[in-house]
Amino acid sequence: MSIFEYNGSALVAMVGKNCFAIASDRRLGVQLQTVATDFQRVFKIHDRLYIGLSGLATDAQTMYQKLVFRHKLYQLREERDMKPQTFASLVSALLYEKRFGPFFCQPVIAGLGDNDEPFICTMDCLGAKELAKDFVVSGTASESLYGACESMYKPDMEPEELFETISQALLSSVDRDCLSGWGGYVLLVYAALLTPTEVQEKILKGRMD
Amino acid sequence: MKKMKVISPILMEVSWVPCSPLRRVRIGPIKVRYRMLLLVFRLSFLSFFPSLSLSQHFAPTRTKPHHRISVSLNLKQRKQREEKRRMMMKLDTSGLESFSAAVPSAMATAEDQLFAPPSFDLPAGCADFDKFQMEAKQTLKHAKGTTTLAFIFNQGVIVAADSRASMGGYISSQSVKKIIEINPYMLGTMAGGAADCQFWHRNLGIKCRLHELANKRRISVTGASKLLANILYSYRGMGLSIGTMIAGWDEKGPGLYYVDSEGGRLKGNRFSVGSGSPYAYGVLDNGYRPDMTVDEAHELARRAIYHATFRDGASGGVVSVYHVGPNGWKKLSGDDVSELHYKYYPVQPTPVEHEMVDAPPA
Repeated sequence: MSIFEYNGSALVAMVGKNCFAIASDRRLGVQLQTVATDFQRVFKIHDRLYIGLSGLATDAQTMYQKLVFRHKLYQLREERDMKPQTFASLVSALLYEKRFGPFFCQPVIAGLGDNDEPFICTMDCLGAKELAKDFVVSGTASESLYGACESMYKPDMEPEELFETISQALLSSVDRDCLSGWGGYVLLVYAALLTPTEVQEKILKGRMD
Repeated sequence: MKKMKVISPILMEVSWVPCSPLRRVRIGPIKVRYRMLLLVFRLSFLSFFPSLSLSQHFAPTRTKPHHRISVSLNLKQRKQREEKRRMMMKLDTSGLESFSAAVPSAMATAEDQLFAPPSFDLPAGCADFDKFQMEAKQTLKHAKGTTTLAFIFNQGVIVAADSRASMGGYISSQSVKKIIEINPYMLGTMAGGAADCQFWHRNLGIKCRLHELANKRRISVTGASKLLANILYSYRGMGLSIGTMIAGWDEKGPGLYYVDSEGGRLKGNRFSVGSGSPYAYGVLDNGYRPDMTVDEAHELARRAIYHATFRDGASGGVVSVYHVGPNGWKKLSGDDVSELHYKYYPVQPTPVEHEMVDAPPA
């Protein structure tokens, strides 16, 4: 098994109408053995920007800590939060810095940009950005996730429908992967017109085998 | 004496050699017989072209035939060749013999050719068949991703297994039958290569039935497991991957044997096989008592497999539990592992932290 399949992970992010959702599984394993079923893979950068990191768990945690550090410095200097597009470029640059000894993680970035426009992108472990308008996937279950998302996705979904879709896509894909699953975690962010952005976090009841 | 300059014996060899081999020729200060020169040049020529065989020069012999496994039209010759090969390879191919061999030879020869084992040439460019075979074995290496267990108690034998088949990280099926019914009073479990287990268990069932017909009584579990172990031993090193338990009830009472593709055969009271076996052993060894009731034993087996499916990534799906009693085996249950999880550990409503509440009116 490769280094990317050492811990096992599944991540997916989807775009809806003025909202986005990012979901991950909750398993942390050491090859085939399951060690934890409440592992966090989706992290908050600021209120309107989230990053999910799949692959080797230790690299995911270290990457997150480095990114938080850089973002806090940015906030001090610029006195505002980073835009998702800028943040994606930052992640890409940080990953490419380690070109010949990379971090073994694949990030999925999701955020609300200007005019509450949802933004998602994914990268490989060296920082090659892939901007998508509909959905991005990452992790050991990525092939199943591509299939599930491709068939279940519709453009311009409302938040409730988006939540349903992303949950179903995640659960059905991790059911075909030995190394991910054991529950799901979905984070839904939408920019309502009158109230500030609302965030919903939900934990999914999935197959525990 | 006509002086002949020896400039290029090779060229002279290709064309017609003009002088007799015995004639003495002179190269600078050295005087040798011509045939000595020819030999020296031939040998040096061959050192650059080692594929040319020396036999071409000395005595024309028939070159070795290509290594082929082929069918000749003569039945007797084919049988002799097979016998010889079989003795050399020490394989027990009695399981693979076509059934027309057991039938009297009065049957038409055309049918015999229908049932004849297929013949094939070795792959082209395959100089080293053994290395090729080793590489083929490596690609088929399975990691026995499964959990099966069996134990003997006062009331018989309980056999339980999960139902997941995985290929590396991908789950290929969640509904594989891993408990194979060899005959109405014997069960075998599957771990390792699915095809290997299915085929050899069925083969074992055939042999047990033949034993019954020949000896007018059922085969014992000891005998059946020995039959299987001997066959697997003869295929040792060929890449079979089988880790099976044979459980049954014979005249001596309940019997349980572990047989694997390395040729091992162990008699015991409790076994668990597969990648999830350490987790199953933990639960099984903790809860085991010889004087359990059938229901208690059933619950223990189910719990052990469930815990293994929870911790092991390569086990999951459905837990099947069978009980082998004096009247044969009976399937007790087939429960989905995920439903078992929420039955054993129901979801507790957790207190919500950091719940947003409206500020109290001033």
